Amino acid sequence: MDVAQAILVVIQAWGIFGALTAAVFLTVGIERVDEDAQGAYVFRPLLIPGVMLIWPLVLWRWWRIESQRAGWAERYKPVRGAHGAAALLMSLGIIAIIVTGLSVRQEWPGDTAPVQLSDGASQ
Amino acid sequence: MSEKPFFVGYLPVPGPFRTFLVVLSVLLVAGLGTAGFLMGAAQDDPGPGAFRFDYGRQTVTGVVALTPYPLIHVTQGNDRIKPGDTFMMTAGGKSGVDSRAIPLDGQLAQVSGIILERGELYMLQVRGGQNGLRAAEGDVPAIAVEPQGRWQLTGEICDGKCLAGAMRPGRGLAHKACANLCLLGDVPPVFVSSQPVLGSEFLLVTGPGGTRLPRTAYDYVAQFITAEGNVTRHGDLLVWEIEPDTIEVVQ
Repeated sequence: MDVAQAILVVIQAWGIFGALTAAVFLTVGIERVDEDAQGAYVFRPLLIPGVMLIWPLVLWRWWRIESQRAGWAERYKPVRGAHGAAALLMSLGIIAIIVTGLSVRQEWPGDTAPVQLSDGASQ
Repeated sequence: MSEKPFFVGYLPVPGPFRTFLVVLSVLLVAGLGTAGFLMGAAQDDPGPGAFRFDYGRQTVTGVVALTPYPLIHVTQGNDRIKPGDTFMMTAGGKSGVDSRAIPLDGQLAQVSGIILERGELYMLQVRGGQNGLRAAEGDVPAIAVEPQGRWQLTGEICDGKCLAGAMRPGRGLAHKACANLCLLGDVPPVFVSSQPVLGSEFLLVTGPGGTRLPRTAYDYVAQFITAEGNVTRHGDLLVWEIEPDTIEVVQ
């Protein structure tokens, strides 16, 4: 498996887990962690793309609220504490990806000469 | 009451904020400029390929031959394209001329279009419809096809149109998706050899036995590879029948 295939597999796996999370959370979980969502269905499909993208965060917050590990106010408080670090890491990650992409490349095999393995009929 | 400076859009900028704004602006402009320069400097030279609109429209007559990618063996040339030349053709955008060339296989045809040129490699982007390619009257000379043996070559599979100058860069990993789209559209694939083969750096590349480039080879487009296959000379153009099973990525 080369790098491109590995990236594709990771993205597919992320999407599959995200879709499963969205299916369960938006049909069962959302009513359990937010009573305002009870009986409201039309808006739920709009959340599918977002849940597929950040499904680990959705599962983590669902578990925190469901298991009462978080105070009642936390369910209304977005997770902002790590935003600064996340923004910094993403910025560094973008720079690292660009630098790696520009530096880790194949080198033109200009020293490799063509090799004639057999003569042609006209030679 | 706090003396901490506070920015209000319609009032003069407080002193500390002014310094911060000037420093940030300078750093931002200089930083982005430096980043742009470094990224540009790190790119490979895109080469001299280009559309040669300055040459004007070229109209020549020749024999259509399918390799299976269509070639023209020129019989009546002009100031730039000489009799005896052999060149590949492409249509506008990411498409080839197969549908127009196949009915003319082995026949004399008049071809008209704009040259794409990169060093010794050139091809013609033909005009639309019969203005670009149509049957012509005249005797059809025999076109020699000379086997040149089996070769192991090292280099890169590209789409001939972008490589010849339709895109800059027209080769390399950053161009891989574009190259594959062109190949899917029947633009002739061209192999750039690490060193000249029988005097030519560029070879039209097909599948074994005169078939189209196999789809399995598309995965290796724009990567530096080594592979084996038979080389034949069609007119003054070399055609390499690459064998996909022998393809290996150069480490």
